[in-house]
Amino acid sequence: MKQPKKRRFQLSERQLGYAMVAPSIILIAVIIIWPIMLSAWNSLFDYRLNDPAKAERISTLSINLETYADNRYLVYDTMEDIRSAMPDAGGTLDDIATALDEQHETLLNSDEGLAGRYEEVNTMLENYQPVNDDELRLTEVPEEWADGFANTLDEQTAAVQALREDAPEEAVQPLTDLESQLSNTKGSILEPNFVGLKNYTSYLGDGRTWTAMLNTLLFTVVTVGVELIIGMLVALLINRVFIGRGLVRAAVLVPWAIPTAVAAMMWTFLFDGQSGIMAHYMAQFGLIDDPGTLLSTGAGGMFSVMFADIWKTTPYMALLLLAGLQTIPRSMYEAAEVDGANKIQQFFSITLPMIRSAILVAVLFRALDAFRVFDLIYVLTGGGPANSTESISVYAYKLLFEQQNFGAGSALSVIVFLSVALLSTIFIKLIGSDLFSGRLKQ
Amino acid sequence: MAKRAGVGFYIFLIIFVFLVMFPFIWVLLTSIKPQGEIFSSFQWFSSNMTLENYASALETRPLLMYMLNSFVVATLTTIISIIVASFTAYAVTRLPIRFKGLILGLVLAASMFPQIAVLSPIFNFVTDAGLRNSYLGLVIPYITISLPLAIWILSTFFIKIPLALEESAKLDGATPFQTFRKIIFPLAAPGVFTTAILVFIAAWNEYLFALTINTDDRWRTIPVGISFYQSQYTIPWGDITAATVIVTIPIVVLVLLFQRRIVAGLTSGSVKE
Repeated sequence: MKQPKKRRFQLSERQLGYAMVAPSIILIAVIIIWPIMLSAWNSLFDYRLNDPAKAERISTLSINLETYADNRYLVYDTMEDIRSAMPDAGGTLDDIATALDEQHETLLNSDEGLAGRYEEVNTMLENYQPVNDDELRLTEVPEEWADGFANTLDEQTAAVQALREDAPEEAVQPLTDLESQLSNTKGSILEPNFVGLKNYTSYLGDGRTWTAMLNTLLFTVVTVGVELIIGMLVALLINRVFIGRGLVRAAVLVPWAIPTAVAAMMWTFLFDGQSGIMAHYMAQFGLIDDPGTLLSTGAGGMFSVMFADIWKTTPYMALLLLAGLQTIPRSMYEAAEVDGANKIQQFFSITLPMIRSAILVAVLFRALDAFRVFDLIYVLTGGGPANSTESISVYAYKLLFEQQNFGAGSALSVIVFLSVALLSTIFIKLIGSDLFSGRLKQ
Repeated sequence: MAKRAGVGFYIFLIIFVFLVMFPFIWVLLTSIKPQGEIFSSFQWFSSNMTLENYASALETRPLLMYMLNSFVVATLTTIISIIVASFTAYAVTRLPIRFKGLILGLVLAASMFPQIAVLSPIFNFVTDAGLRNSYLGLVIPYITISLPLAIWILSTFFIKIPLALEESAKLDGATPFQTFRKIIFPLAAPGVFTTAILVFIAAWNEYLFALTINTDDRWRTIPVGISFYQSQYTIPWGDITAATVIVTIPIVVLVLLFQRRIVAGLTSGSVKE
């Protein structure tokens, strides 16, 4: 008899490799790529969280069964109240009920299976369950039915208004309720809010978008430029042996490590027109007319956010450049000295070419960070005064969560995304394969 | 590197460090002034120092709760992303798989995208899943930031380990996964630790998702909590400076302890060795 061969479950190196890469790829696909695509899709709709008729993306004329079923129940309930408070309204109420029932029948017969789904929604409502499943909740309806239904509701609303004119006191409240319930029922019909590229065209034609775009570009160019120049000077100066290196390094790392929002709060205090010491000294030295200038004028506000960013990030830039400087062999400078090159010639013909890729990598990551700046500006100036320091991310955030306009806000965030993509493509073309060196075997 | 440092150099150094640290020094000095002096004078040192601002900062807002929230969220984010990222970094740098360049390109692209572009869909998703005002509601979006960062840094550490170690493990009969778990991962431990610090700091400092998703005061993190000390009419600078000092201390300790590692992590891959 042959012994069955004992086999251990074992992956080959290649299979293991794919299995190990899979979780990251799936995560990146699900929580980065898919949401970006959803943002792009949202930006094509007139999608506003604070307007019930537009609180979701509707591509075709639909009915919200949840709202419809809920209000249908309420309408009949209120009609009973009116009957007991105002007996002679019975005839009109019967007419209303007949008209609504007729529309209800037509609706349920308009699509196979709709009656069953309506029942399901109704049962869920009776059990106080929210209907979160869009497939169940939203149904496409024919246009003729929707028009007829809206007309019926308008007619019945008029009939209710007529009743209210000579209603006894106790019937007034239920009649008012009925009127608003009929109007809510009408709200269950959802017009398509697909608007194509309208969000883009209207916001690209809007001055505030362009101001925000220019502010962001100005902020990026100035802060990254100044950080590069000062960072390079500092790196060149401290690229030598000295006592207390560790302490200097720690001092330099703290601004980088604290949360941007906390740094922004600190600078709000230092720039404050009344108790801010920076504002106080700058006014004393005649750099500004009045301590209040910094945070109450557009130019002052822009200076403040740039200054705070430069303070927070220059040390980090200096560290990156210093690491680059330390890889240059001393012998190259010695050889240049023998050839009679002065310090400035040495800098331009040895130092710069040797750390070119370190500079480009540092500038790439800094520029992308600066371009999507949010916390610093949002906390320090809130985008003000009068939107003069508003960056494109801050504007997009305000549209999304302060105005609850998800369509327009998504359009702006897609614009930020595309700008960042363009910016990084240009940089990666410049840096080339150096970006991957040290990560892939050539 | 043989340049020697002179007196002028040290004077420059002291000025540089002072300028960098000045905001902290001023905030610390302000935090121990009595309320009245903060608004009325620009004197550096107060004659009657007080801790009343600290008491008030802890009383008016749940500052310690914010710190706990930040700590839990940042720790969970770090653990999850380090585990997932170390698998990927190992596979990309050391296993014979295809599309390595493409995978790293995707990771790089993922580390560059602006968070605002995913904010509203993630907000909708977290709301639908009932995760608003919870730790998980922040950990999920934080993975979008920390995972690419961790893969990017970890791969520079993994690639430095000599390939011969794997060959000998293979000869000794270890499976590929055992090689990773028992040989390569422990050897890369210092690099993994460095990456973990950087990921932790990134998660600790995040503002945009925390502001949008955890709107209940009890669930706020440090950066958002601090920015809510100011009310519409008054700005309690005493409270704010005291709170700033309290939340900066853990970071200063972290930086002092691990400065070498942090610098190694920040500069990894940006320079050729």
